[in-house]
Amino acid sequence: MAQPVVQTIHRDPALFWWILLPITVVMILTGILRHYAMTLLQTAPKKQTLAQLRQQRSLVRGITLRTNANVLSPSSFQSRKAYMVQAYQEGKFLADPEARGKPRPNPMSDPAAMEGMMGMMKGNFAMMVPQTLIMGWINAFFSGFVIMKLPFPLTPQFKSMLQSGVGTRDLDVRWVSSLSWYFLTLFGLQPVYNFILGSNNSANQVTQQMAQMNPGAGMMGPEQDPDKLFLNEAENLEVMEHRWILDGVEDRLLAKYGL
Amino acid sequence: MSQPNLLTPPAHISPQSALHLSQKAPLILSKPPTSSLPWPLSLLSSSESPETWTTYENLFYTCLQTGDDASARQILSFFSNRFSETNERVIVLRGLYEELQARNKVELEAVLKKYNQLISEDPTRFLVRKRKVAVLKSLEEMEEAIGECVRLVEESPTDVEGWAELGELYKSQNLFPQAIYCLEEVLLSCPNSWGAHATLATLHHLSSSSAPTPSIPSLTLSLRHFCRSIELNDSYLRGFYGLKVLSSELIPLLQNYNPSSRRNQHNDEEDVAPPKLETVKKLEELATGKLGEIVRRYGAGDNGWTGYEESEIAAARKLLDKEGKVVR
Repeated sequence: MAQPVVQTIHRDPALFWWILLPITVVMILTGILRHYAMTLLQTAPKKQTLAQLRQQRSLVRGITLRTNANVLSPSSFQSRKAYMVQAYQEGKFLADPEARGKPRPNPMSDPAAMEGMMGMMKGNFAMMVPQTLIMGWINAFFSGFVIMKLPFPLTPQFKSMLQSGVGTRDLDVRWVSSLSWYFLTLFGLQPVYNFILGSNNSANQVTQQMAQMNPGAGMMGPEQDPDKLFLNEAENLEVMEHRWILDGVEDRLLAKYGL
Repeated sequence: MSQPNLLTPPAHISPQSALHLSQKAPLILSKPPTSSLPWPLSLLSSSESPETWTTYENLFYTCLQTGDDASARQILSFFSNRFSETNERVIVLRGLYEELQARNKVELEAVLKKYNQLISEDPTRFLVRKRKVAVLKSLEEMEEAIGECVRLVEESPTDVEGWAELGELYKSQNLFPQAIYCLEEVLLSCPNSWGAHATLATLHHLSSSSAPTPSIPSLTLSLRHFCRSIELNDSYLRGFYGLKVLSSELIPLLQNYNPSSRRNQHNDEEDVAPPKLETVKKLEELATGKLGEIVRRYGAGDNGWTGYEESEIAAARKLLDKEGKVVR
């Protein structure tokens, strides 16, 4: 039973106070600062005009008609369907009836799209600058330090993750270098931010990217042609099969009460 | 039913509970929601939470209901300090306050003029437009109110409140087919609302009773909607009440109902087959039994049966008494 030799490195206890702790604290503080910076930089979503609202809500109305049609009696469903399909095909609800059938303009020339891109740029900027600065700071002051030992064994694959900046081949994987500690905190601090700032904070990269997916874009983004959406919905309405939920409701009710 | 509170007030606040709630105003208003310190420090000392403003808003409504104008004004100033005077909801709250302060028609029309101006500045202020409908309604200018409401649902067709209000307005003018259309639109947006089903059923019933001869298809539709509302909520007093009224109306009609002659008259649009006579009789039996049970257990104060409105119970009792069945 040959026990592998346990590597011991005598570390100065000051390493903990002067490297491990400062890096962690600085990382947390940058996260918080970034959160508030993002909150300040955020532009309020642009107000939609009445015609755009009408266009979007008319489409939603068609979709609700399709999904909840079973509450309507067959005759009232048919009349609604006929009206909606005709109005959709005529493009009655379009915000911009003139633009019907024309190809979409280039998104680069569209001011609304430019604004969205500016927002994205700002977000990326607020991410990049502090990270470059902190990484430079760590590289300049703390590179090459081994600052702690993980309490559990790991496979050698983790070596490049945990010991970046320390170029020793035979060092046990459990030792963590300062630069690696920076990366670990960079990706692992989300729960801490959730605790400090609440769950929908913008302190971290991952959430940042999620937020960039504009909620409005899914429904009727600038890329989609509203006329196509309307025609599509008209087709959906035309082919749907209608079932009335009130058919036989009396018998269902009586069966429920066992009469 | 739980005690009414300021975070989740019931849809309909009775005068007693409104008074009870508005008496909490001095305690809640004694400490301001936002900190008085300058900016960076105010972040630390503020006791604001998402619930704070819901509480304030509901407190505002109960204060208006009970006539506690001083507290209402104070809450209003909190709102406009926090969310700025141009916020749409603050505008609406202020408008609500001014509407209630208006003592006569002229003052109310001044409020209306203000609303008109706000709407022409930005026609997407749907909340203000709804208030305008309400003011027109209280000025009893029904036609204008209906016109405004029609424009509102035309431009925002997914607005359930707008459709419901329009239905209500049409109903007040006895225009039942239009009201039914509006309520169907409400139902499309909330298909599982038993209240909407019952309201639609009531409209079908009213449209039948306003016609010179009772129309069996309308009554059948009404019956079915009541059935559906009970299917969705099996302790729904209004549903059982309607079921009882409808089935007792339908039974004599169905007894001398001749399907073949009927079909010749109405072969164009009626797709609603009338229910079988036995089914309706059974439904009446069910409704009577259930109403009796509700009235009895409410009277006895049984646990879980006391959440009904006093007036609804009284109506149910009256309906049962009319038949000579003593429920005690």
